[in-house]
Amino acid sequence: MNKTKKWIQEIKNKLHFNSKKEIVDFLVRLIFMISTIVSGSFIIIIIIFIAREGIKPFVTDNDGLGAVNLFRFLTGRVWLTGTTFQSTLYSVGFIIINTIYVAILSLLISMPIGVLTALFIAKIAPTKLSSIMRTVIELLAAIPSIVYGLFGAGVILPFVYNFAKTLGIQSPGGNSVLATVIVLSLMILPTITALSEVAIRSVGKDIEHGSLALGATKTQTHFKVILTSAKSGIFSAAILGIGRALGEATAVSLVAGNAQNGPSFGIFQTTSTLTSTMLQGLKETIGLDYDIRFSVGIVLMIVILITNTLLNYVKRKVGNVNVK
Amino acid sequence: MKKIILLLLVLLSGSLVACSSSDDWDSSKNITLYTRDTSSGTRAGFMEGIGFSEAAEDNSLLAEGYVIKDNTGILTSMKTDEYGIGYVSLASLNDEIKGLQFDGVDPTVANVVNNTYGLKRPFNYVIRSLDDFANDTEKEITLAFIAFLHTSDGADIITNEGAIPLTSTSTWDEIKDDYEVCSLDNSGVTIKFGGSDSIEKIALALTEAFAPKCGNFTPEHDHTGSSDGFKRTQGSEKDGVNYKHVGFASRPFKDSELGSDGTQGQLAWDAIVAIVHLNNEVTNVTAEDLKKIYSGEYTTWDQLIG
Repeated sequence: MNKTKKWIQEIKNKLHFNSKKEIVDFLVRLIFMISTIVSGSFIIIIIIFIAREGIKPFVTDNDGLGAVNLFRFLTGRVWLTGTTFQSTLYSVGFIIINTIYVAILSLLISMPIGVLTALFIAKIAPTKLSSIMRTVIELLAAIPSIVYGLFGAGVILPFVYNFAKTLGIQSPGGNSVLATVIVLSLMILPTITALSEVAIRSVGKDIEHGSLALGATKTQTHFKVILTSAKSGIFSAAILGIGRALGEATAVSLVAGNAQNGPSFGIFQTTSTLTSTMLQGLKETIGLDYDIRFSVGIVLMIVILITNTLLNYVKRKVGNVNVK
Repeated sequence: MKKIILLLLVLLSGSLVACSSSDDWDSSKNITLYTRDTSSGTRAGFMEGIGFSEAAEDNSLLAEGYVIKDNTGILTSMKTDEYGIGYVSLASLNDEIKGLQFDGVDPTVANVVNNTYGLKRPFNYVIRSLDDFANDTEKEITLAFIAFLHTSDGADIITNEGAIPLTSTSTWDEIKDDYEVCSLDNSGVTIKFGGSDSIEKIALALTEAFAPKCGNFTPEHDHTGSSDGFKRTQGSEKDGVNYKHVGFASRPFKDSELGSDGTQGQLAWDAIVAIVHLNNEVTNVTAEDLKKIYSGEYTTWDQLIG
């Protein structure tokens, strides 16, 4: 009891305001705190909700079907063996590999293009062109993913189909790893470009001038001095880019072909990602087939967490050079 | 700048030319399967129609290399993939792709209604025996609902939901005077609907439109599968807690499900059509062909053409 009284007394002391200004200050701080609590608690509520639904298939007997085997779930190579609504033999092992595979391929394509574009906009292009390009990139970043998906289904799929045909390969309508990677690269390109551009622009003029004064050419300076100095920021761009690639659902499900077994490494094979698997039939299904999608969601969150931690670790290892 | 734009234009036109090459259709190529996912009603109807109903909810029975897409996805894929085959509901068939004849009959609404096109399933209803209703109000509303199914108002709703209604002769306004119960206030009456879950969407749309026309009775939907349609209206569960006034079945009634006179009938057809690319030389398939294609017995188009 004493403690509580003391505590209340402390708060009273703290709430003792000397002037109107202090009251306003206190209220403003209170509003900040409340908004932080609200946004923070949403994350917690979402995690609790997903976890509660997603753990259910493993711990309950799923209305008589029996519990899903966690080891098999994480390592298997077929999404569902047996009849839907009657089988518990779900696996996402190959889908985890597919997801990481397409995300890394997309990053490999869009990183060089994005960074070089950023270098061009920030350092090489005339002021007018660079401001136009900057707007274009921002616009691209704001396009919703379903639009990329429709573009993918309408343009990329026929393109990949015909490309495979000229190589003498029969592609299933273009639905493939390649189409998925192209769509994802297009989607994460603006993110990577915009963030890299900010990082490159924030490299100090004195470093650049120093390099030029030592007799290095402009190109040498750009690649050896500016890009190395901005690498920390460029890594942040890669982290955000790969996060978007891993989490993209709508666009991917329109071009991936939703393979039910795998993993798919050939670029003309159909594939599936964690998100496209979650989305597939989500609106029509029930019971375990519905709950298991939350489990896939947990797996996805863990995959994103691990990837980001790894990249952050690399980013810290790579270090930082005098970036303002 | 001009040079760059010129270069881009050249590249773009080059790739467009490369895309628009049209070779002859080659029947030695492999068949690419397109299918809906296991929760789709169209898939259930299609697999039943070709005698492969065990594959309705089991992907592992399908031939390797299939692609899972939704209705629109299958339609757009057939515009690209010259060697693909898929299926869509008849309502979404258009002339950018080729709808295959089934047993030699064109997939048209007219052929479905005159019962010559075979790849379809009936949407049937069954109501309680006329002497087995708790009271006259429930019986009258149920009968009015059945009459509503056969009006052009009901037909419009069924068409909107993607099925094909039977021919209707009158509008609800013309026949509503025959059903006095609908001019009363029925807000305290609950009518229970059940049976096939494939028909659930149509049934919901129908009762939503009909309830205000018939004294605002309360429709209650609990769709659990075709076999419960008869069981819970006239069969073993007709007096149980799950009893229904109206049951639906997305298949013909079995011999064991024949009810008393005037309690059963059909409200619509659900027709599905197998589709291929316009360049495809195949024009006609049979149920057996489709089963062999989807089970992987036929892997190239040559095998189908024979």
